[in-house]
Amino acid sequence: MTTPLLDVRDLTVTINRDGHLITALDKVSFSVNPGEVLGIVGESGAGKSITGAAIIDLLVPPLKRTGGTITLAGERLDRLSPKAMRSVRGGRIGFIFQDPMTSLNPVISIGRQLCDTIEAHLKIGGDKAKRKALEWIERVGLPNPEVQFRRYPHQLSGGMRQRIVIALALCANPALVIADEPTTALDVSVQAHILQLMRDLHRESRASMMLITHDLGVIAKMADRVAVLYAGRVAEISTVGELFNAPKHPYTRGLIRATPMPSADSEVRLDQIPGAMPGLGAVPPGCAFNPRCFKAEGDCRAAIPPLTTEESTAFSCFHPLEREIA
Amino acid sequence: MSAQDFLTLNHVSKVYRRNQSLLERLKKTDTGGTKAVSDVSLTVRHGETVGLVGESGCGKSTLARLVSGLMEPTSGEIAFRKDGAGRTPRLQMIFQDPYSSLNGRWTIEDIIAEPIRVHKLRRGRAAIRARVDELLTQVGLSPADAEKYPQEFSGGQRQRICIARALAGEPEFLILDEPTSALDVSVQAQILNLLRDLQKNLALTSLFITHNLSVVRIMADRIGVMYLGELVEEAPSEELFLRPRHPYTRLLIDAAPDMDTSDRSLHPIAGELPNPAFPPSGCRFHTRCPFAKDICRSTAPPQKAAGTGGMFRCHFDLELSNAQAIPPASKARTA
Repeated sequence: MTTPLLDVRDLTVTINRDGHLITALDKVSFSVNPGEVLGIVGESGAGKSITGAAIIDLLVPPLKRTGGTITLAGERLDRLSPKAMRSVRGGRIGFIFQDPMTSLNPVISIGRQLCDTIEAHLKIGGDKAKRKALEWIERVGLPNPEVQFRRYPHQLSGGMRQRIVIALALCANPALVIADEPTTALDVSVQAHILQLMRDLHRESRASMMLITHDLGVIAKMADRVAVLYAGRVAEISTVGELFNAPKHPYTRGLIRATPMPSADSEVRLDQIPGAMPGLGAVPPGCAFNPRCFKAEGDCRAAIPPLTTEESTAFSCFHPLEREIA
Repeated sequence: MSAQDFLTLNHVSKVYRRNQSLLERLKKTDTGGTKAVSDVSLTVRHGETVGLVGESGCGKSTLARLVSGLMEPTSGEIAFRKDGAGRTPRLQMIFQDPYSSLNGRWTIEDIIAEPIRVHKLRRGRAAIRARVDELLTQVGLSPADAEKYPQEFSGGQRQRICIARALAGEPEFLILDEPTSALDVSVQAQILNLLRDLQKNLALTSLFITHNLSVVRIMADRIGVMYLGELVEEAPSEELFLRPRHPYTRLLIDAAPDMDTSDRSLHPIAGELPNPAFPPSGCRFHTRCPFAKDICRSTAPPQKAAGTGGMFRCHFDLELSNAQAIPPASKARTA
């Protein structure tokens, strides 16, 4: 049993709306082992991005972290002062955002942005920082680093910009990279490039990664273990092979079957999940998935199922799917 | 045009020009422009769904706007089959974003009733209301929803309202521009199933535009693949996936990650999408094509007919039935 690099226990995020507390993230627990890629998957509103933002304390008010612990390599991040947290962000934890246009500063050259990050976190300056920045531009696969160094974000294509964002996230040698929908804004052909680059760099650096996405295809190719979120709660955590071949939670299977895939043999009809994910503050009592679940019974409506661990998987369901059905 | 043909596009092109200065207009110099759609010929038969796929900037949405008549083509012609009285068929469009395509100040009843009133399909308040209720039921909502406003609905429900509004015009032809791209997977599956049922029950002819190959495979009878404004391949749906004839089609199918966890290889397409304003000479795909030869750089490939009634634009007759057809060497230099 290895000690996890990142351990999140009972992370709770709430919104205070006119005195009413609305739970956005409800006791989410998971861990990321050293060198591992943990995929976090779910539909919009499931709380994937909030989880990522809560870890590096970048929640936008009125979202507020109200409970739980976050431990990075033995250090409690949730107790750090805002100042100490600043050096963790971009330093020990790198962050890749969804939209490369808004996560780069449009009026600063990309070389300057890389140098700033390197100087701030690696405590090296001047020519050394510049050399390192050029090295990173080359490592993320951009031709002519010297030329790119002086260019501005608007002069690059979407895929090139996302490469720079990846360089920014990795240039300070972080222990953990949080990638929030890194390829969602990109076309399929560019997406495959960026995923390949992330995989190569991950293999070189052995940094751990949290890959947040709604795309099950990306998860299947990139993640070692996967956490499925639903309505702010963990539905299932499992190894990637187990998750796709023998899902335990009915929602996981529903999500897999609802995804159209090009390899499917002329399948005419998709298995749909009835209804939609409950909005914030409208989570039904008991299991959040019970109104949409075909296996729901009385106990599902009465109590929230606890996260049950079984060998390599953990799931929160009173009536998990049997292996042979899946 | 044969009796079966519902819509034909004949060498349609659309050039977006920047505004010319007075001097340029006086001198009548041609400043050029971006050829968003270039020489596209396509036929849609009665009762069939034709899918158009491609990456951003390939001209698929421009083509939808041309067909819908929102824009005039720069050259070429778009012809609909006319009925006995010489009328063109009624056409409706469903857009990508269900948040911006519904007026937030109108009730659902107003929204859905508008096409009925405009086309004078029903007369009298009661008849119109009855039709609205019928449409709401048809798309899986309840008649009670007619009093509500769009912001009371989720994205998937809004897209159902958009579908009801499109059907209210009793269209013979439907243009769907990325109708499920803004939706989550579980909701996307509901909408796709609903659209399939409607297509079958109402015998609609439609043009389905998307960037997602898996979605188009489920929805379309025939699929056209676009690249930088050109239609590079067009074939029956199954045929396109089993035996693609154009290298771009093959690479596009492989590039999307599937859910097979035993084979975790990724298949990026070499290079980046060129700027559509300055497409490469010769075959537009030659800068990224693993099979490119000298002829591809100099000469634009002709449109060739495939045995199955489709067509493709490639100089070569390539065997691309399986993913291994792409030389591995070309994959290695992708980074």
